[in-house]
Amino acid sequence: MANANPVWEAIDETPTTRPRRLVLEVVHDWVTTVDHKKIGLMYIAYALIFLVIAGIEAMLIRIQLAVPNNHFVSPQVFNRLFTMHGTTMVFFVGMPILFGFGNYLVPLMIGARDMAFPRLNAFSFWISAFGGILLYFSYIGGSGLYGAGSAPDIGWFAYAPLTAKVFSPGHSTDYWTLAVFLSGIGSVGTALNIVTTTLCLRCKGMKLSRMPLLVWLYLVQGGLVFVAVGPLTAAQIMLLLDRYLGSHFFDTQAGGSAVLWMHFFWIFGHPEVYVLVLPAFAFVNEIVPVFSRKAIFGYPAMVAASVGIGFISLSVWAHHMFTVGLGAAGNTFFVFATMVISVPTGIKIFNWLATIWGGKIIFAVPMMFCVAFLFQFLIAGLTGIMLSAAPFDWQLSASYFVIAHFHYVLVGAILTALFGAFYYWYPKVTGRMMNETLGKWHFWLFIIGFHLTFDFMHIPGLLGMPRRIYTYEAGRGWDNLNLIVSIGGFVQAIGILIFVYNLIRSRTQGDIAGHDPWDAWTLEWAVPSPPPSYNFAVEPTVNSRRPLWDLKHPEDPDSDYE
Amino acid sequence: MDEVTRIQQQAQHGHAHQADTVHLPEPTAMPMVLALGISLLITGMVTHWVISLLGLIFTLRAIVGWFFDVFPHEKHIDVPVEAGILAITTTRTTRDQLPVSADHRKLLPVETFSITSGIKGGIAGGIAMIIPAAVFGLARYHSVWYAVNLLAAGGFVRWAGESNAFLAQFHLEGLLAATGIHALTSVLIGLLYGAMLPMFPRKPILTAGFVAPLLWTGILYSAIGIISPILNDRISWRWFILSQIAFGLVCGFVVNLQVRVRTPQFRALPFAVRAGIHSDNIEQIEQIEEAEKTKPVDKKDDYV
Repeated sequence: MANANPVWEAIDETPTTRPRRLVLEVVHDWVTTVDHKKIGLMYIAYALIFLVIAGIEAMLIRIQLAVPNNHFVSPQVFNRLFTMHGTTMVFFVGMPILFGFGNYLVPLMIGARDMAFPRLNAFSFWISAFGGILLYFSYIGGSGLYGAGSAPDIGWFAYAPLTAKVFSPGHSTDYWTLAVFLSGIGSVGTALNIVTTTLCLRCKGMKLSRMPLLVWLYLVQGGLVFVAVGPLTAAQIMLLLDRYLGSHFFDTQAGGSAVLWMHFFWIFGHPEVYVLVLPAFAFVNEIVPVFSRKAIFGYPAMVAASVGIGFISLSVWAHHMFTVGLGAAGNTFFVFATMVISVPTGIKIFNWLATIWGGKIIFAVPMMFCVAFLFQFLIAGLTGIMLSAAPFDWQLSASYFVIAHFHYVLVGAILTALFGAFYYWYPKVTGRMMNETLGKWHFWLFIIGFHLTFDFMHIPGLLGMPRRIYTYEAGRGWDNLNLIVSIGGFVQAIGILIFVYNLIRSRTQGDIAGHDPWDAWTLEWAVPSPPPSYNFAVEPTVNSRRPLWDLKHPEDPDSDYE
Repeated sequence: MDEVTRIQQQAQHGHAHQADTVHLPEPTAMPMVLALGISLLITGMVTHWVISLLGLIFTLRAIVGWFFDVFPHEKHIDVPVEAGILAITTTRTTRDQLPVSADHRKLLPVETFSITSGIKGGIAGGIAMIIPAAVFGLARYHSVWYAVNLLAAGGFVRWAGESNAFLAQFHLEGLLAATGIHALTSVLIGLLYGAMLPMFPRKPILTAGFVAPLLWTGILYSAIGIISPILNDRISWRWFILSQIAFGLVCGFVVNLQVRVRTPQFRALPFAVRAGIHSDNIEQIEQIEEAEKTKPVDKKDDYV
């Protein structure tokens, strides 16, 4: 790519002081925006608020379980806490925050000016946001405006027949259903935007084989959202019909099937795990090469593995249901399908290691989080393989071992990679660096807290401690372990508080970042920080997977080898 | 922006644009209003019908507003482009080339088999394997169905306690299950042969007919207790190895009969070799690979 390309000609990098505006003007600006970057930031901010709320719920759960025979909260409140914690983390933290990053980064990385459907993008954000607000409105309106409030208490997967009117009177279950339903509409809208933008708005020269791996992973994630959210939405409508119009889809007393709900839910639920984890892979794919000073190892294999994970993840849902008695054929199929998914996942881990291998590694905070991700995701995968064996699962399903496993995935892999992504792209978004010292405090406290919590959580599970238990008798061997788990939770919380402080403080006091503080290679680093509303003054042209490498090293461009 | 594009846009929108501006969609509150409207519409189900009515009003207003945002022409704003120069440079001015072993690239074959070769080999090997399995059943239990049912039993937990006489009888479900398992496994192993044999070109019969079957048998020996405890209890390992060798010899033979296709390594050969003017014997290939070693295959830049 020639240096004379006008896209690279822009901008004074010194942050300018904007004229002060009225609060109403600022609010109007954000409410009416259709800019993918602002929408992405709103997704992230909204998800961070819910992260704090769901984090507080987690802390309350851990206080309750820290010692035996505890009555810090009532059993009813405890049920609501774990329901709201799970629902919030999955639907109103995980998905929005990852969609936020996708919204911000995908157009920039493919050289586009915006998403394919900017207004739909705004609509998708707002309807998801209102879904979250509706869920928490249940605390004051759960039984309708005429009765006392009550949040949902049916678990994040809302198994039948617990959701039937007879077991869940009032409206708390309906709030769960409707809130998640709204969130689903937003998810499909955003996925539609990401897929269409990726397929239709790539800049000149950016063939599919040259797309950044982050964009590939968001493309696969978008496809998964299309397939996965539909069954959940259908099931929610069926549940509403059961509760309001007398149908019996899930009414076991009238010929319905509780297992039918489980199938519908997990046909959504397991791909959902990959909807959440694929963007985490995406972040690691971008951060690891830059901080290893090497191109990603095995790009085609990484793409194939990502697409493979997308397909295989659609065929593993019933491993969540081994204990219902699927029969030998069902068990065999889902055991094998689940084990097979470890193949493309393993390919990814090996390729990340091969990328790091022999590189000039820079242990800045984003890379530290990525290295932690690699270790933790590996362990999460290994316990996943253990649970994929049906006989093993029969023993430990619905125990704290399962809780530890999936938190290893969600926190140890996804949240850890997400923190790395925050430190990596924060300079692009704000024009300022996050504080490295605070970042390292955040890293170590979070990682130590994480391992205290979730390493030790496996053991009470193996000793028979069931999930969703309100309290327990002393002397079962769970006491000290639960105390350690709870202490670890608070250590993590302190780490996250430091992160939030760093996030706010660096906005005004961070070092000036410039447009390319990490000496990176993808297109988002070719525009000023923060990027202008139009992203690129002129559509860029790329000749390789690392267009900025080509510009920085015209004597040895990647295009000679691809 | 070229002149033709400018004229087209003027015709479409009815007014001119500045060359130093960029068109972006005009901000609008309609998406937010529509989202609010739909949310209130359904919230009425759990609160009060008045909330739904309010939601309906918002929804209709937003639909109308959104319609006029995009028809007859999509509303847009012209954002001025900031001027200046953003230098794309790096402080890391030197690059290291990772050391590559002299033998590294020799492991990659210049030619390999197509995927269909592996499938054909797997089918042929699978058929060949049936013969020793059937002979085993006839010799020991006087039935060709014994081996079939034994293979199928891994999928039927209820067959765990059945007698040998039961397994020696014909069962349609057993035949179907065994056919499925056998066909799938044979094709997958055939594909593995297609990929693997070009990597060991010197003694294909030894590799395909003996080494691979013995390795495969070893893997299965260690895992069969988990995969199929019934098979583990009743299997005859000598006959099993014999059938594996039959599979390996036939599969390897069929795969080797197929036409080879060239891998990307072939592109490294000089034109004369690729065009068939010179033979692509091994010495020449090694010369080419020697020359290839001087090309950087993986690079990293110095952290200065």
